[in-house]
Amino acid sequence: MLEIKGLTAEIEGVQVLRKVDLSLAEGATVALIGRNGAGKTSLLRAVMGFMKVTGGEITFDGRPLLQVKPHERPRLGIGYAPEDRRLFSTFTIEENIRLPAEVMKVREAEIARRLEGVYQVLPELADLRHRPAAGLSGGQGKMAALARALMVGTRIILLDEPFQGLAPVLANRYAAALRALRDSHPDIALLITESNPSLLRTFAERSYAIERGEVTEIAGGLAASSLEAAGLH
Amino acid sequence: MPPEMLLLAALDGLAYGSLIFLVAVGLSLIFGVLGVLNVAHGSFYAIGAYVAAAGVLALTGMGLPPWLAFPFFIVAAVLVGVIVGGLVETLLLRRIYGKEEVLQLLVTFAVFMILEDAQKVVFGVQPYFANAPMNWLGTIEVFGIFYTQYQLILIPTVALLVLVGLRLFLRRTAFGRAIVAVTQDRDAATAMGIDATRVYLITFIIGASLAALGGALSSATTSLTPGIGSGMIVLSFAVAATAGLGRIEGAAVAALLIGLGRSVAVYFAPEFDVLIPYLIMVAVLLIKPEGLFTTVQTRKV
Repeated sequence: MLEIKGLTAEIEGVQVLRKVDLSLAEGATVALIGRNGAGKTSLLRAVMGFMKVTGGEITFDGRPLLQVKPHERPRLGIGYAPEDRRLFSTFTIEENIRLPAEVMKVREAEIARRLEGVYQVLPELADLRHRPAAGLSGGQGKMAALARALMVGTRIILLDEPFQGLAPVLANRYAAALRALRDSHPDIALLITESNPSLLRTFAERSYAIERGEVTEIAGGLAASSLEAAGLH
Repeated sequence: MPPEMLLLAALDGLAYGSLIFLVAVGLSLIFGVLGVLNVAHGSFYAIGAYVAAAGVLALTGMGLPPWLAFPFFIVAAVLVGVIVGGLVETLLLRRIYGKEEVLQLLVTFAVFMILEDAQKVVFGVQPYFANAPMNWLGTIEVFGIFYTQYQLILIPTVALLVLVGLRLFLRRTAFGRAIVAVTQDRDAATAMGIDATRVYLITFIIGASLAALGGALSSATTSLTPGIGSGMIVLSFAVAATAGLGRIEGAAVAALLIGLGRSVAVYFAPEFDVLIPYLIMVAVLLIKPEGLFTTVQTRKV
């Protein structure tokens, strides 16, 4: 469904992605593992259209994505939860979650239906829905960002280091939400980045390692033995 | 200090403050969203005033009823905002977002100079005086003082409607929320499907139209001469800076404060008339350098 081929991108003249190949099939859960600064965020940002791509291509359902304007990409069903949450602080949680659907002029009945689905996956947000986003804790914010991505991500959801900085209890809650999402929406493809591979072991059926902007597939998934073989631990 | 004069000064201040608010709120909104301090904003005020005055003179010249001026003011303001504002944003400002402030100031200042001259070419340098709409509305007696309804009721009402309307638009409509979202985080907003380029354009047009509306409303109260734009941009900048750039309610309070301060000076210390707005601005900024209303509770746009 999403195919990245030979993708090269730079920030102010410095190459941050080098000939990246990665593919994401419908309903797949794919992990992208790498240290800070390896290029995880850059790759997701390139998919969303925020990077200066200098070579290669991205196709979505066979259609070239690089020609699609950044604000049109969510309309294709691509949801994105950035690493630093990036919630709009003056809106309430629910206003944040609804925003992308409202912007895309989704009908009110459909928004309500999707919201219900979101609250089923993330029940703790239902109680916080009228709270201002500014007052959220880190973990609640990550969940709200996931919920917001879910409102538009009917095909693909990109999660940038969702477990980063979460207390163990919240990380467990977040993982449970992801499992619930897997069960309730089996056809959505998930691309999750993480620096700590063990966190994704139970999810990812396919994984890639990224180092200095180069991506290699980790044969055999995130089992401890294959991680060791790939030089990660 | 006779009480009638104080009352008169207060009424003057209300009318004047309302007018400055219309211009300053547009300046503030544009700064809040686009991050550009638009020096050419004064030109939209001046062009709005000239277009309105020329239109009113044409209307009355054709023997049409003067009340037609009021719908015409709105049409003129929107036209100036869409055509002049739209062209300035699309052709020039779009190239300088995110660049150094000095460059942005120079570019918008250049636009201001060009528009000032263009306006002299189109409308000439003779004063325009088109007070038919003000006379048509008549006067009202307040504690024994006769005051024009146009200045005492119409202009403050329009300012209040703009304040409330803008608040509701930004808070309750999907497009308004998109504007607020872009203001807070352009990339994140784009990832939510918001077309930031379009949001910038429409915000600029709204801001420019409000300045032009301020100009249109002022055209009936004063005679128009070249240079009204530069006076207004400095004044509305003082208001926006006093309030804290990007604050809408703050701009209303600051406009009223500066409007009242100025008209009190006109009556009681005329030599300070021009100076008062800046004295207020300096006094506020010395105590609160970020502006009166820049706190955690109030929102940017």
